[in-house]
Amino acid sequence: MNNTLLIAIREFRQIARTKSFWLTLLILPITFALMPLITKMVRPDLQQSIILIDHSKTGAGKAIAARIELDAQRANLATLADFAKDNDLKALAGKATWGQKLDWYPDAVVAKFVAEGGAEPALKAIRAKSPKLAEGLTLPKAAYRVAPTPQGLANLPSAALDKALTPYLRPPKDSGRKAIDYVLEIPADFGAQPVVHLWMNGQPRGQFMSMLQGELTRTLRAGFLETQGVAAPVAQIANRLEPAIAINRPKEVGGREKLLVQSILPVAMTYILLMSLIMSGQWMLQSTIEERSSKLIEAVLACASPDEFMRGKLIGTITIGLVMVATWVACGLFAAFATQGVIADFIRPALEPLQSFGSVAAILYFFLTGYVMVALIFLVIGAMSDSMQDAQGFLVPVILILMFPVIILMQAVISGSDSVFAHVLTWIPLFTPFAVLARLGTGIPTYEIVGSGMVLLAFIALEFVMLGRVFRAAILSGGGRPSFKTVARLMKRH
Amino acid sequence: MDALDVKGVVKRFGDFTAVNNLSFSVRPGEVFGFLGGNGAGKTTTLRMALDILRPDAGSISILGKEPGRGNAADIGFLPEERGLYRAMSAIDTIVYFGRLKGLKAADARREGLTLLDRFGLGAQAKSRIDQLSKGMSQKVQLATALVNKPRLLILDEPFSGLDPLNQGLLEDEIIGAARGGATVVFSTHVMQHAERLCDRLLLLAHGVKRFEGTQDEARATMPLRLTITSRATPDKLPGVVGATAQGTASDGWQDWDVKLEPGRNAGDLLEHCTSQGFALRRFEQHRASLHDVFVHIVGGAEDVK
Repeated sequence: MNNTLLIAIREFRQIARTKSFWLTLLILPITFALMPLITKMVRPDLQQSIILIDHSKTGAGKAIAARIELDAQRANLATLADFAKDNDLKALAGKATWGQKLDWYPDAVVAKFVAEGGAEPALKAIRAKSPKLAEGLTLPKAAYRVAPTPQGLANLPSAALDKALTPYLRPPKDSGRKAIDYVLEIPADFGAQPVVHLWMNGQPRGQFMSMLQGELTRTLRAGFLETQGVAAPVAQIANRLEPAIAINRPKEVGGREKLLVQSILPVAMTYILLMSLIMSGQWMLQSTIEERSSKLIEAVLACASPDEFMRGKLIGTITIGLVMVATWVACGLFAAFATQGVIADFIRPALEPLQSFGSVAAILYFFLTGYVMVALIFLVIGAMSDSMQDAQGFLVPVILILMFPVIILMQAVISGSDSVFAHVLTWIPLFTPFAVLARLGTGIPTYEIVGSGMVLLAFIALEFVMLGRVFRAAILSGGGRPSFKTVARLMKRH
Repeated sequence: MDALDVKGVVKRFGDFTAVNNLSFSVRPGEVFGFLGGNGAGKTTTLRMALDILRPDAGSISILGKEPGRGNAADIGFLPEERGLYRAMSAIDTIVYFGRLKGLKAADARREGLTLLDRFGLGAQAKSRIDQLSKGMSQKVQLATALVNKPRLLILDEPFSGLDPLNQGLLEDEIIGAARGGATVVFSTHVMQHAERLCDRLLLLAHGVKRFEGTQDEARATMPLRLTITSRATPDKLPGVVGATAQGTASDGWQDWDVKLEPGRNAGDLLEHCTSQGFALRRFEQHRASLHDVFVHIVGGAEDVK
């Protein structure tokens, strides 16, 4: 076995024996395992309840109840269609609506789904195929529930409702009753007058208010059309008209094909690269400082050349970093495909774009080169330092220079902007891996990927030459931390 | 073929010349002492022999080859500044260095365990270095240098920091290695160790060679000193360059500290006294210590013990 490999294995083993490595390695799987529990604790019940008191003859109350039911069915349909796609159940669904995955389910499609029997036939079919598979399917709880109108409230005048509703909106703590979130009273003259009354026990949801506004507006318009001589059925039809929005994602035109990974994955990879680099870089730094400060470097260099030593340490540290990342990715894949729940629902769509070879190749290339580029800097800092305190003088500026632009870049990408800043960072080798990984989310032209990838490779080759000189000169020298001027001089000297 | 052959070697660090036109050779199987004070250039020369540093001029041949890691399998090296990986076990440390020197893992482990047993550390083979005492760690480090049964053992200030017990152990190991046919080169500024162990030695001051040869040859560079007790003053005797009276005379007999010219033989002087009727009650020759020789040759400017 050659010396580089021996040094790499020793480095790997030393880091793998530290508690901080195992803590960092396990933090993500533990988070994944606890996430469903945490989610359940943080969001115990998202369903809200509503009491509808309709004194009018307009049918507005029924329309609102129907809308709530339709939206609940839409959520069921979306969940079933996602499940069918993830589990390859298209053949099982046949021509049923739940077998067709769409970006958005218009009312007409949802109505067809309801007409087919809703979720029940789908659940039955899935259970028949595999009861175990069916266990993994959980239909979402409806966002709203129409509660029965209490007998005593139905005939009360508006003025008396204020007082009468208090026990429903804010029931006494010892009553054991759950608070009603909304009470809507539609007065008898609704239509002639546009006023309705809404009582709440907290802040209203924007989505609820939009839904309410939409249904009540439709009722008012239908009434208005009828008063203008339009036949009632025609007015109802006019009121229910809605556009069918066809969703397309056209490819980039003009000969510049963009590599686009439209998910949270690129930003997540950028973040993982940054964090794992800082963690594994710190470990390598500590081990190099130990070798320098405990004076064992000379004994090693009597058997292995400084280049073998440098390469061995780099390989060992990069391997440990990649093992860490691979473990996280494996946990993510396990959570996505072998489990059901919040994490799986979150990760699975994020991994969909990875079916493209170009995306996978770009992510792997820039992840690996990013690791080598930054790890080399950490290694040389370790070679120049007798203690962590010494190292901080170099480390703090390096981490700040790396982190600030990368964080700004990630925010820009998350907000969806294709900024000049991101374009500029792409061509600065120190930031290239982060910029390219992050920009995969908004789309990055192929020529930029190839070009910046080549520039990055040339930069790493230059790093090996220049920082290699500093490493060889610094690793055996004493006398404390060299100045930046000395480092620059060492880079030039052969 | 010499085990180590250094010819006209120069090493500079900026404006400072650490080693200046140094030439010497170490013969196979001998114990060679590399003597000099702090900053004499001993460590720099040994680092050049091991290819840790490259000379600016001159040439070095080690075991018939140019310095380089290709020789690692035949060389054992104990650096002056010592340390080990704190989180590694004693045996793993020895195996690691054995493997860096080209041994197979099983061979390195077997030899490592043998050495640890020999050093009284068999029970601590699996203990982490940070759980061992300083003396134990020093033995482990010595084992890393010996694990490959080297043909050439290079020890840089091997006795510094060792307690008397470990100094004795190290002396035994040096003698044992030499008896086994290995060449031993060690640097020191403690003359007593060199006096006990070295077949030949090199005296170095400020990067320049001052002497190379055997201990007797080194002593021969110094004027011979005698203590004699006589009635007459000895300063007129042939070869005597100075005589100083010691204490007071008793019944006409006086003690004298006599210094001979370099190269003069004490036996010749005794024969002359006997044949010429120069009355003597005492004639005692003093063997110069290596420390005296060093101070005489180097001029007392170096820091030696």
